[in-house]
Amino acid sequence: MLRIKVVCEILVIFLMISILTGCWDREELEDRAYVIGIGLDRSEHKGKIQVTMLLANPEVGSVQGGGGSPEKPREIISFDANDIIAAKGTVNSIISRIISYDLLKIIVVSEELARDSRFTSIIYDIINDKEIRMNAYLAVSNEKASEYFLKNKPRMETRPHKYYQYMIHHGIENGLIPDSTLFRFFTTLERGSDLFLAMNTAAKREKSPRYKSEDEYTAGQVEASGEFDDTQFIGSAVFKDGVMVGKINGLETVLANVLDDSTNIKDLLVDVPNPFPGRRKQIAVRLMKREKNKVKMDLKGERPQIFITIPLRVVLMTNPSKVDFSEKRNQEIIKKAIKTHTENLYEKLLLHTQKEYKEAPYPLSFYARKYFGTIQEFEKFNWAKKYQNAVIHMKSEIKIIDYGKKQSEIDKGEK
Amino acid sequence: MKQKPGKLGIREYAAIAILMVGSKATEDTPAFLYTGSQNAAWMVPILSAVVFFVPLFLLIKTISLFQGKNLFSVIQQLLGKYIGFLVCLVIFIISSLGISYDSRTYIDIIKAFYFNSTPHLVLYAILMAICTYGAKKGIQHIGSVSYLIVFYTLLSGYFIFIISFQDSNFQAILPIWGSGIPRIFKESIHRLPLFADFFLLTMLIPYLKSSKEFRKGTWIAYSYVTIHISTAILMFIVLFDRSSGAIGYPFHTLIRYISLGNYIPNVEIIFFVIWIMGAFIRFTAFLYVNALMFGYMFKIKDFEYLIPSLAAIYLMIGIIPESSMDVSHDLKPMVQSAAGPAFAAISLMVWIAALLKGEFKHAKNKSGL
Repeated sequence: MLRIKVVCEILVIFLMISILTGCWDREELEDRAYVIGIGLDRSEHKGKIQVTMLLANPEVGSVQGGGGSPEKPREIISFDANDIIAAKGTVNSIISRIISYDLLKIIVVSEELARDSRFTSIIYDIINDKEIRMNAYLAVSNEKASEYFLKNKPRMETRPHKYYQYMIHHGIENGLIPDSTLFRFFTTLERGSDLFLAMNTAAKREKSPRYKSEDEYTAGQVEASGEFDDTQFIGSAVFKDGVMVGKINGLETVLANVLDDSTNIKDLLVDVPNPFPGRRKQIAVRLMKREKNKVKMDLKGERPQIFITIPLRVVLMTNPSKVDFSEKRNQEIIKKAIKTHTENLYEKLLLHTQKEYKEAPYPLSFYARKYFGTIQEFEKFNWAKKYQNAVIHMKSEIKIIDYGKKQSEIDKGEK
Repeated sequence: MKQKPGKLGIREYAAIAILMVGSKATEDTPAFLYTGSQNAAWMVPILSAVVFFVPLFLLIKTISLFQGKNLFSVIQQLLGKYIGFLVCLVIFIISSLGISYDSRTYIDIIKAFYFNSTPHLVLYAILMAICTYGAKKGIQHIGSVSYLIVFYTLLSGYFIFIISFQDSNFQAILPIWGSGIPRIFKESIHRLPLFADFFLLTMLIPYLKSSKEFRKGTWIAYSYVTIHISTAILMFIVLFDRSSGAIGYPFHTLIRYISLGNYIPNVEIIFFVIWIMGAFIRFTAFLYVNALMFGYMFKIKDFEYLIPSLAAIYLMIGIIPESSMDVSHDLKPMVQSAAGPAFAAISLMVWIAALLKGEFKHAKNKSGL
């Protein structure tokens, strides 16, 4: 009897092992091709789109030390398809492995397609594919997405998944590109009352970009010389109701990111005009945002009044006029200069977007909600329409927490 | 130090109840609550709990008059042999359909998010086989396993909650009344079946050490679960905002979205494993309760042998609907709209019958003596 029992138990264990493989969903690591980026373009054929897939080779860079395979780190395929979902099947006529979107990092859309009114319905297909994660990023490229992937050959970071991860992560940290995940895209789209900012990227540099002051570039315009990649991530594409309507530059993106409490931008370096006499006209400061913005609204009248207060902490990084900041008077002067400068910048951004796109570049409508009891009332108020006439009052609360090094000590050193 | 066989302690019972009802926050219930009352959906479970408290309180009060008797024997004793049997049959049919369609929803989730190409039938068979195995082991085993995993489930829930904070916007709960106060009240009445499981759990009374423990355990689990579901819905609302209605299974969309920093991005499988263990317990306990009902109605003493065949029947009922849409839009609302009022009505009926028969007075006299 005991022997029978033992045999039975062993049989049960074997049965369980066969379940462990995942039944029909058995996945062999060897047998999978990981798509890191998807590019979407307008197709020459009517009613179709051109899909580009950037596949990473998992073998490259994974072997410690020598003995890496001579294979290329990536593969790029472009073809016409009816939609993104069907593309997954089509591509298997070219790729030997099963296509997996598990590691999808970025969806690059060409500006041409993003400006097409069909774009909303095309991108909405993504929701149906459960494999695409909502934390993948949406980016808009100046050129065709298929060309973008081909042109983009990182020199240092050859593994595409790492390249995009680092590039986007640091771009968002600096605030030069927005945190444009699909998740934010879809929630903004559903809300329908604000603009969505998607990161702008370009793999081609413009021939002779006009020189602009700090960060006022869009992708492809940053002029740099040396040996490096041509790809740039800076600025953002503005989407209204899921269709691209324009572009804003890097500086404006930084400002929008500071306004948006839901991004976790840490600190940023900017130049403010030097209020003190001297040959150099700029002071470099580090702006830090640690507290949330205070927004008050008066929505009663014909033209709603919006009061926005931005608390900023400032560290002075340079002191070109060698001012002694231990004097109260000088402290007041620099404080005022930073205050007016930042207020002007914000007002300019909001007025620009209000005038041109008729909506706010960040979820401002959230702050209006607390003035209403029910959703119906809020919808009746019609934020999108009222905002066009809204008067916006900006105020920055500057706290200078560090005036930099004491000038006298440095002077002594120079002597 | 061997535990007395056949009896559940308060911990085990509360663990079963929390797992059975709390897991409703992780399936399609939040999406339905959202479509009903939009961003005030988090109030609905609280209000429903307050409403359902009345019949449940009366029922438990009535049952506690009959020391160590379960729901069905109390019903039969109070309502007579024939009417009693009919009422029991109604309860059994409702809860049978409930388990079938609920388990089907779970299968739909598993298939949609984790096992895309495995056929429904295979997944379903595995789920039911595991639940049968568990249920056959008896209620003590179910109780101790649920006590083992209840903390993991809850902790993982809090963990997800904390991580998802980063991307949440708390202003999404405004305007505070959502789609209007009347709508919220209507919705709360409509959502009574959220707590219907507590009604069914009164079948387990004979297996508890004392009816006092049962009462205490029920109220602990009841209040905890109310807060749990409400908080979970709040979490989905502040994260998904207006898209909450469009996302069928917000919990699973959420765990696919969150990541532990840049270096551990895709973590859903950790939470999936914990979730599926909770699901096993939920259906195991559910199956056991159903077998208990069936056994009691037809006077089958060794009802535990019924479990495999009942599981097979539930599998067959559950596999009939063609798509998950049919289940979550037609069949489940149908069962739920029957379950809520029916269970509340039966509770009231039992209480009134006891009142008319003077059972409360008897009990007082007894205790007076």
